[in-house]
Amino acid sequence: MRRGEASARRPWTLQSGNALLLFLPGLFLAVFFLWPLLRVVVRSVTDPQLGFENYVRVFGTGAYVRVIRTTVETAGLVTLLTLLLAYPVAYAIARAHGLRLKLLMIFVLVPLWTSVVIRSYGWMIVFQRQGVLNDILLSLGLTDTRLLLLPGAVAVYVGMVHIMLPFMILPLVASMRAIDRSLLLAADVLGAPPHRRFLEVFLPLSLPGVSAGVALVFMTSLGFFVTPALLGGPRLLMAAVLIEEAANVRLDWPIASALSTTLLLITTALYLVYLRLTRGSAPLLGR
Amino acid sequence: MSGSASALARRGAFASFVGLCFTYLLLPSVIIVPMSFSSQSYLSFPPSGLSLRWYQGLAADPAWQAAAMNSFLIGLPSALIAVTLGTLAALATERGGLRWATTAVAVIVAPMMLPHVILAIGLYPVMLELGMLRGYLGAIVGHAVIGLPLVFVSVSAVLKNYTPALELAAMTCGADRLRSFLHVTLPMIRMGVLGGGILAFAASFDELMLSLFLTGTGTRTLPRLIWEQLNDFLTPTIAAVATLIFSFSLLLLGALAVFGRIGRSMPAPLALATAETAAHG
Repeated sequence: MRRGEASARRPWTLQSGNALLLFLPGLFLAVFFLWPLLRVVVRSVTDPQLGFENYVRVFGTGAYVRVIRTTVETAGLVTLLTLLLAYPVAYAIARAHGLRLKLLMIFVLVPLWTSVVIRSYGWMIVFQRQGVLNDILLSLGLTDTRLLLLPGAVAVYVGMVHIMLPFMILPLVASMRAIDRSLLLAADVLGAPPHRRFLEVFLPLSLPGVSAGVALVFMTSLGFFVTPALLGGPRLLMAAVLIEEAANVRLDWPIASALSTTLLLITTALYLVYLRLTRGSAPLLGR
Repeated sequence: MSGSASALARRGAFASFVGLCFTYLLLPSVIIVPMSFSSQSYLSFPPSGLSLRWYQGLAADPAWQAAAMNSFLIGLPSALIAVTLGTLAALATERGGLRWATTAVAVIVAPMMLPHVILAIGLYPVMLELGMLRGYLGAIVGHAVIGLPLVFVSVSAVLKNYTPALELAAMTCGADRLRSFLHVTLPMIRMGVLGGGILAFAASFDELMLSLFLTGTGTRTLPRLIWEQLNDFLTPTIAAVATLIFSFSLLLLGALAVFGRIGRSMPAPLALATAETAAHG
């Protein structure tokens, strides 16, 4: 056997040599993913000279600190709102079956396949001064003048929650469908009223999906660009918008690098938490 | 029977809440379609008259055609790179018996989770030095970094469903590694590869941030052109483009539904990966 001779020291197994397949993708990611990230971090402490002066500038300037705080607060609020809307929807999907389940899943997936830029454009149509929302508010008599909602924080929240909803719904559905229904039946048989059955059995069992969804949504929300740029403008400035503007408009790459590194550190920390929550083996399943 | 009446009311409230959430989910996609057939040049909903003038305008404008062409010229090769490398990576981590497989997976999936602006800031000087900035190659490579984890997740999910014993059986019967891959492994993971490829293409087709940094005026993609137009003026032209892209996306989603069987049998990672393609606002 030629194979036996080639690896005389260790017996041949099916796995032998498969690790070599990682060479090309590894090389690609090293050059075009890890190396660029490293460059950003290094540049933030070497440009224009060695030291932490860029960070002193970032954390010493009220405007930059405010943007970082706004980014974290917005991500937190969006995560909370997303969870509140997604939980009942996921509950409805988890209980559905057959055609109804397929239809509900398609309703969740369709918005995902509309580009983010285009969805923000849709919200611009809704929120503008002559837009649908103002029409409705006027005809209901809730206001007597057209409101200036764009640019504004409310529009950004509505747009961001809309984009994040499926990310919360999908892991929640996955963990809810994994719940053993006989446990709910047992609670029933033992005389638990519906609200106790939900609060003391169903809710705790769905928590793994909740934590995975929350981590995923919070992490992704931190890096939002299109929605805050188009709908928030100067009223709600988030980190990614500021970084893009610093690099592409002001050509202030040292500051852009320092801000990026800050965002990178926060996201990486959250990513590690997320991997922990999903136990690494199935990094995208909410259980 | 006040008990059942209040239970009915509760169920009704729950159903209408869920219904409202679904309306919210579909609203911005749906509102664009009638706008694109408006006869006026300002955005009013519902449009007071119908026309095809915005579609005719699109057909006559070379800038939109060039941008659509560029989106395909960048999207297809980048999806091809992502499919090749993503499949290799999935095979290595699922079948390689690596001791540090968890770490490898974490790094491979990371581009999907990271804010794209950081990657864009990092890739810009690298592409500049390699002479790939503002050309097709730089954008293709950049988009492939985003697409790779999508293929990886999709193929890994399928590989997990099959036991390595099948490949072992093939090799015991005398097949070499290549034949075992071509005749046993590849037919098993075909749907994962194809589904991942569609996801990678869709991710590239929707990618704005990397295009803002890596493409030039000659290679700018559809999202970038829409972005530039949105900052200047709001006309139904963009609604017409959006409607066309929306229809195209639905076709891709349909293809994915046929190959990936959406619903109960659709693997959750694939569903979530679908989600991830559109996430990075």
